[in-house]
Amino acid sequence: MAQTAPEDRGLQTRAAPQDASGLQDSLFSSESDNSLYFTYSGPSNTLEVQGLSYQVDAASQVPWFEQLAQFKMPWASHKDSCELGIQNLSFKVRSGQMLAIIGSSGCGRASLLDVITGRGHGGKIKSGQIWINGQPSTPQLVRKSVAHVRQHDQLLPNLTVRETLAFVAQLRLPRTFSQAQRDKRVDDVIAELRLRQCANTRVGNTYVRGVSGGERRRVSIGVQLLWNPGILILDEPTSGLDSFTAHNLVKTLSRLAKGNRLVLISLHQPRSDIFRLFDLVLLMASGITIYLGAAQHMVQYFTAIGHPCPRYSNPADFYVDLTSIDRQSGEREVATREKARSLAALFQEKVRDFDDCLWRAEARDSGSKRHTLGLDSLVLPRDPDHLSTPTQLPGPVQQFSTLIRRHIANDFRDLPTLLIHGAEACLMSLVIGFLYYGHGTIKLSFTDTAALLFMIGALIPFNVVLDVIAKCHSERAMLYYELEDGLYTAGPYFFAKILGELPEHCAYILIYGMPTYWLANLRPSPEPFLLHFLLVWLVVFCCRLMALCAAALLPTFHMSSFFGNALYNSFYLTGGFMISLSNLWTVPAWISNVSFLRWCFEGLMQIHFKGQTYHLVVGNLTFPIPGDKILSNMHLNSYPLYAIYFILIGISGGFVALYYVSLKFIKQKSSQDW
Amino acid sequence: MSELPSLSPVGPSGLQLSKGPRGSSEGVPAAASESRHSLGVFHVSYSVSYRVGPWWDIASRRQRWNRQILKDVSLYVESGQIMCILGSSGSGKTTLLDAMSGRLRRQGTLLGEVCVNGQALRRDQFQDCFSYVLQSDTLLSSLTVRETLVYTALLAIRGASRAFIQKKVEAVMAELSLSHVADQLIGNYNFGGISTGERRRVSIAAQLLQDPTIMLFDEPTTGLDCMTANQIVVLLAELARRDRIVILTIHQPRSELFQLFDRIAILSFGELVFCGTPVEMLEFFSGCGYPCPEHSNPFDFYMDLTSVDTQSKEREMETYKRVQSIGSAYRESAIYHKTLENIERTKHLRTLPMVPFKTRDSPGTLSKLCVLLRRVTRNLMRNKLAVVMRLVQNLIMGLFVIFFLVRVQNDVLKGAFQDRVGLLYQFVGAMPYTGMLNAVTLFPVLRAVSDQESQDGLYQKWQMLLAYVLHVLPFSVIATVIFSSVSYWTLGLYPEVARFGYFSAALLAPHLIGEFLTLVLLGMVQNPNVVNSIVALLCIAGVLVGSGFVRNIEEMPIPFKIFTYFTFQKYCSEILVVNEFYGRNFTCGSSNGSVTANPMCAFNQGLQFIERISPGATSRFTADFLILYAFIPALVLLGTVVFKVRDHLISR
Repeated sequence: MAQTAPEDRGLQTRAAPQDASGLQDSLFSSESDNSLYFTYSGPSNTLEVQGLSYQVDAASQVPWFEQLAQFKMPWASHKDSCELGIQNLSFKVRSGQMLAIIGSSGCGRASLLDVITGRGHGGKIKSGQIWINGQPSTPQLVRKSVAHVRQHDQLLPNLTVRETLAFVAQLRLPRTFSQAQRDKRVDDVIAELRLRQCANTRVGNTYVRGVSGGERRRVSIGVQLLWNPGILILDEPTSGLDSFTAHNLVKTLSRLAKGNRLVLISLHQPRSDIFRLFDLVLLMASGITIYLGAAQHMVQYFTAIGHPCPRYSNPADFYVDLTSIDRQSGEREVATREKARSLAALFQEKVRDFDDCLWRAEARDSGSKRHTLGLDSLVLPRDPDHLSTPTQLPGPVQQFSTLIRRHIANDFRDLPTLLIHGAEACLMSLVIGFLYYGHGTIKLSFTDTAALLFMIGALIPFNVVLDVIAKCHSERAMLYYELEDGLYTAGPYFFAKILGELPEHCAYILIYGMPTYWLANLRPSPEPFLLHFLLVWLVVFCCRLMALCAAALLPTFHMSSFFGNALYNSFYLTGGFMISLSNLWTVPAWISNVSFLRWCFEGLMQIHFKGQTYHLVVGNLTFPIPGDKILSNMHLNSYPLYAIYFILIGISGGFVALYYVSLKFIKQKSSQDW
Repeated sequence: MSELPSLSPVGPSGLQLSKGPRGSSEGVPAAASESRHSLGVFHVSYSVSYRVGPWWDIASRRQRWNRQILKDVSLYVESGQIMCILGSSGSGKTTLLDAMSGRLRRQGTLLGEVCVNGQALRRDQFQDCFSYVLQSDTLLSSLTVRETLVYTALLAIRGASRAFIQKKVEAVMAELSLSHVADQLIGNYNFGGISTGERRRVSIAAQLLQDPTIMLFDEPTTGLDCMTANQIVVLLAELARRDRIVILTIHQPRSELFQLFDRIAILSFGELVFCGTPVEMLEFFSGCGYPCPEHSNPFDFYMDLTSVDTQSKEREMETYKRVQSIGSAYRESAIYHKTLENIERTKHLRTLPMVPFKTRDSPGTLSKLCVLLRRVTRNLMRNKLAVVMRLVQNLIMGLFVIFFLVRVQNDVLKGAFQDRVGLLYQFVGAMPYTGMLNAVTLFPVLRAVSDQESQDGLYQKWQMLLAYVLHVLPFSVIATVIFSSVSYWTLGLYPEVARFGYFSAALLAPHLIGEFLTLVLLGMVQNPNVVNSIVALLCIAGVLVGSGFVRNIEEMPIPFKIFTYFTFQKYCSEILVVNEFYGRNFTCGSSNGSVTANPMCAFNQGLQFIERISPGATSRFTADFLILYAFIPALVLLGTVVFKVRDHLISR
């Protein structure tokens, strides 16, 4: 807590000379409450980047399916697209400081965050090194001390704010924590982020009404804050927020920094009121450093080198424009690039003497100098053992139980979707039931019965495929980030997902199976009913698993649903109803062997036709046709009934295995293609 | 226009320069303004009343909730001036523009008047006075810039010679510096083309073709990067200087633009908090006790100052009070009184003609239809992917079926009936579906274009629909013939050329019906995905109930039986069944079909099958064709009606 005192004083000295800027801040002061509820308790952290040059391969960032769409092989090398994302960047920041990285698009902000968080995809560090707490950065070290808040909020929409945090607390806090301690931590974080008034509101998303956008962003921060990281990295935290909310959010961030954390944020073009809240600013243009130093000295620095900021304009806007590369025409680009380069060279010149590469205004009073330097004297004797002490995170079983509770809680909160699915199933089964209404003088003919049995097995479960794929893809980004953060591993998630589907699945089958069966007047005794029911249960479950596989295998919703559709249609055509099984040539016959729709149809036919007699009327004659004859004619008696159940279970097992493998080995990175 | 600030970052010196030309227009002496056109908005208020609560809650439906969107707004602009309307989201900026241009939805009540050259406008005159550029660029992506403008000109100007139109288009392109991209495709975000800034300028150029005097822009800079955004605003200012009135709303203007505007209006919760020149603005707010801090963007600062923070109750009260006090200070200021005076004065002058402010005489319906037809055809032909998809989609579906069932059998015991029925079921089910896919991917763009251009008075929505229907026909015919000639002979259906012809004709109809049904629904429902699901459901239901393949129609409950008469699938499948089974004799096993050996052999003649599935279908063959094809004009007619209704309902 000692560190906060000079910081406060620094703020006051900054506010004093400019009445007008104080006035602008007062426009926003909705929170008089500046107390800290939850401060970082570990040792002080430093983040140091030395002479970093980073090469980005723009072409490899393009996902493989988009490369295919442009008729390029994904594995073909692309040498020409490499460019230096960051050139010779050095800085050093400490706990209690907030560093804002600003610059126009393509300036290297994203690359820098990628490098620091160790998630650079397709990039390569050419030279230089990153140090965290004096140790070279490794993925383990990053995972242990750096929290990364992504640009887009990835939260389950139907949980309340408190539940969201509580579930993460279950997963993220070490095993040694008692439940009371976990609850306390959640309360602390809620208080620190000023989320008390909406703690019991559901989170929501673009479609589901919930908390406001700024509050949702703060929940995302809270998710990371829970495990008490020393370094917080935020990617464009204010994008998509209105001015008041953005201001309050950045204010929250600066308060977090005061709680002895190191906060690093990247921003496109901050408004002037937000700019005033920054501690340190790093201004970049196409990967080179134009300015790095205290925010309030930026204008002074540029004035000194001959670029004063005009009255009534936002310094952030003005200097970002000054240094941005204009790509509209060739000569403009060369000229602006040259200008940026000369400014960067000038800056390198000026900061050569400082070891942390920050520019300082020597002429300024010592108060503000102490504000940036003050922490040096206060750096605690580093305790290298602290970070390496293994914190026992919850084991797979606890992860699983937390995940399944979260999954079910999220599903059951979503009443509208449940109702829609229920109504859909009910309506479909009623329509089919009445279409094949069988209580009357005329019994269903055998062709109609066969058609009905095929419809039951094949037509209606189709809805399930699309629903499951859509749901998986809406959660996919969250899954990716949580796996990346090491919140849990693929195994527990896999079990939680499959078992979590079961309650809804059973309810769906009940609603959908019962009315049709009785309306169509199929065999009324309990034994065929139970067998029928079990078979439908199995085949719809198979459908779900197939959909889960399709969603996990392919990166976009459209591709997954297309793949699911194509698979389903192949199974449908080889189901034995549309095309006689004997007429399938080799390849479709193989497909037919794994077609769960075919096995379902075969099983249902056996249940309802074995030992029955149907009557066929041709002209005036009526022929009795034994059901077994029909079965053998349609080639639907190849296996006994019990074998069919085992075959279906086997197919489900295959899909389960495939789902596990794709969760484990395919990155669940989500890319949207609309 | 050399005094205007240069496009790239403007230094302080640039700002000072740009103040030069405006000096004359600020304190307008009465005599000088006589030759100027003017637009006055006089005490305009707009309120909508809507029912509270969801539709199922009857008790709360009774109460009506009145919401005032605009409160007593008065503005005055003269030609040569550019006005910028600021305000946070929900403050009524777009509503104000809508009110000025007469594009408000009819449910609200509008008080006050909009005067052009001192005369209040009647409802039908609005369209002729204003050109309105919307936030999004609705342009056909496969046309070049020049083509886009030429077609627009052809739709807008009557009886002009080709040369005249060429000259006009060239002039407009030169004015908006689009000449260097004149022959490039417009493109969209998927495949390249001209840049977004250029696309925005094409939208503006399309409006300029009608020579408007008053131009309104709703958020012209959204979605553009700051450099391009600045260029667009500078361009608009240039347009204004050429004796036009330009009014724009803007979300987050940059500080460089501050001195560029002649008038800046700030709206907050529907109330005009301030309207005046930038200099007046700085003075006014300093007078109110809120000087703009040195290093901050005055736009941002004043907007925050005048917006209401709804985060907490007390904050809301506090900020609302501040806005109120500023608003009342403005209403007592000299600036406000001068505005009212100006409006009153122009009312008495009446020296200038009121309309037309835009070129008005547009060509006749038939020639418009021709232009539209040419335009959509060219747009489609450029889009290679769409053409290929249109032509081979059906074929792919056919190949998918062929893959599984190489050839139909003639033996009853080997599934002769089963395979044929399955096959026809697939085809009847899939043909409307492919038609629907075409319409869902290609029509929404055209619908957006027609929605906007019909607002501009270029043509009516149903004309676009008709053009679309006409240009689709040849493609559908070719696609169906390609598909049927491959699959009919490969699968080994009844080997006779005439029957092949009937088969193709019977499948062409569902393909077209699927597409046109989708068009009708797209006229009623905005979201294409919803339309997609609805049409898919309708098709599945129709096949299940109407085709008789999976449920014998004779044995169905009565309501379903009645329903079948409204499904086109009934007629289509009757034709296909008769076409395929009439006169066929099937074998049954090796022994030449004795019923005693296998009861299934009782059925070995096609005719028997026809009688069982749809009795008497053979005699209805021609009638079925007629009814099936009657669905097509009926749907087109229905579509026309729907789009005419859409014209009335969606008046914006």
